[in-house]
Amino acid sequence: MAASKCTRLTGVLSRQLLDSVDSVLFDCDGVIWRGDQAIPGAPEVINSLKKNRKRVFFVTNNSTKTRQMYADKLGKLGFNASADEVFGTAYCSAVYLKNVCKLDGKVYLIGSNAMRQELEDVGIRPVGVGPDPVSGVQKDWANVPLDNEVRAVLVGFDEHFSYMKLNRALQYLCNPDCQFVGTNTDTRLPLEGGKAVPGTGCLLKAVETAAQRQAQVVGKPNIFMFECVASQFGLDPERCLMVGDRLDTDIMLGSNCGLKTLLTLTGVSTVAEAEANQKSECPQRQKMVPDYYIESIADILPALQA
Amino acid sequence: MAGGGGCVTLRGAQIRDLLDSKHNVLFDCDGVIWNGETAVTGAPEVVSLLKQRGKRVFFVTNNCTRPRENYVQKFSRLGFADVAEEEIFSSAYCSAAYLRDVARLQGKVYVIGCDGVMKELRDAGVPVAEEEDAEPGASIYTCPLDPDVKAVLVGYDENFTFMKLAKACCYLRSSECLFLATDPDPWHPLRGGRVTPGSGSLTAALETASSRKATVIGKPSRFMFNCIASQFGLDPARSLMIGDRLETDVLFGSNCGLTTVLTLTGVSTLQEALAFRDSQEPQQKHCAPDYVMESVADFLQALEE
Repeated sequence: MAASKCTRLTGVLSRQLLDSVDSVLFDCDGVIWRGDQAIPGAPEVINSLKKNRKRVFFVTNNSTKTRQMYADKLGKLGFNASADEVFGTAYCSAVYLKNVCKLDGKVYLIGSNAMRQELEDVGIRPVGVGPDPVSGVQKDWANVPLDNEVRAVLVGFDEHFSYMKLNRALQYLCNPDCQFVGTNTDTRLPLEGGKAVPGTGCLLKAVETAAQRQAQVVGKPNIFMFECVASQFGLDPERCLMVGDRLDTDIMLGSNCGLKTLLTLTGVSTVAEAEANQKSECPQRQKMVPDYYIESIADILPALQA
Repeated sequence: MAGGGGCVTLRGAQIRDLLDSKHNVLFDCDGVIWNGETAVTGAPEVVSLLKQRGKRVFFVTNNCTRPRENYVQKFSRLGFADVAEEEIFSSAYCSAAYLRDVARLQGKVYVIGCDGVMKELRDAGVPVAEEEDAEPGASIYTCPLDPDVKAVLVGYDENFTFMKLAKACCYLRSSECLFLATDPDPWHPLRGGRVTPGSGSLTAALETASSRKATVIGKPSRFMFNCIASQFGLDPARSLMIGDRLETDVLFGSNCGLTTVLTLTGVSTLQEALAFRDSQEPQQKHCAPDYVMESVADFLQALEE
């Protein structure tokens, strides 16, 4: 790790940094795109990195798209990328349930069709996706029919979240042998100006509170997301750069895994917040200080094209 | 001061002495005087005898699903004679009272809750933001927000949806918008050892979404006691709180300076009570009751003498 941290990335430093890494991992929202618009210059940067023989990966806590859906979006926005370079929490949760939880059975899913798809693709059968309004009276709810092949509850972003879904999850989680996994704890969805929409973190908190249990969380800053990429592509952490806009997820993931870290200022976190973390005595906050920061990812283009 | 109790098992003459020293008896309902639709054996007689002995009796419940008039009917149905609406303090009733008398709300309240809460708000004259039926295709980006909303109240709601969570979150972006929760209970027991999600779980979702903490009306917060005291002038030193849930009923009693009794006909166990008593943490010690009884029926012998 750099002895000095939170340094503005200038032209000369950019060149040195790029030479010191083989792989670059990008968060998506607030880094390479905002909503459905690419950050100006971002596609050129990714494509240029690849021409410079760097490997590029996309690591996002968003659980609403499959890898293929991300690849399609990347393509539409001008990024040269393929599905196997994308690591979203829909895919990573499925891998986590299969390989880490060693799930043998079904999963009760509070989440999207994309999550359902990724689970089915690794051979896990989900139940529960889609609208689920309440019916009957209160004494019926504790007696909702439970599928006795369900061995885990998985919570991701779900616009159909309802009391009944919360109730079903609670019934399954009353069994201490039932595993409990969440995709991520982000409290808000990233949004293009205007209303902020509650994120998965809120839904997960509701289930955790009712069940009085803590979920295993797959997404950043948990190291699993990096391990998922590293195990498939043989990455050396010291030769990896993590680029993100959030100190508490992207940069912390980088710190947790021993990666170099670069904060872009086109998203959530600010330099002031990073510097405040740097001055604090708290070890947790020290993990949320990037090695470098830059206004926008587009600013490294000159170093790449030199 | 009361609280940090010793979990003493009450017997014989001690029960009579305790009752002699108290003028007011506050009962939690679920798990204390009834379980679901069944009265705890002896509970109706105990309530009746206490009143005959000149004690004032109040019912203090975090359950926000019914208006008070429904509770009056339930008491009657389960064999409790002459329980008056004025003696019943539910978190729904107290939330409405808070908005009207303490917050003096100027504007409307956006409610995540059920009929019980809506009725109490209407009865208290607190305007409620109308929930329009969701048009097909309505999303949080397009749904209308009511500019008169100056408070959000969250409680148990079997019709809870993502859209309601998102709308409440929008209203809470203004720091002038009050944020209230009826009660903190994360789950409620149902028959046969099953459970159902409580107001606390919905409140946790909204707190996480808004990065704000709700003001909680129900036990263990003091407000329900203040509500009773403002109407009836209670002396905490002459008041007894009887409950079944350590983190709500007993902590409530402790917070308000009341003597506390845990009955074992509901949620908490003697073991849990002893664990709180022996804890080093002050907050946990306040969840330990002064006294423990198997059931409120244990009062009968002392009362019948």
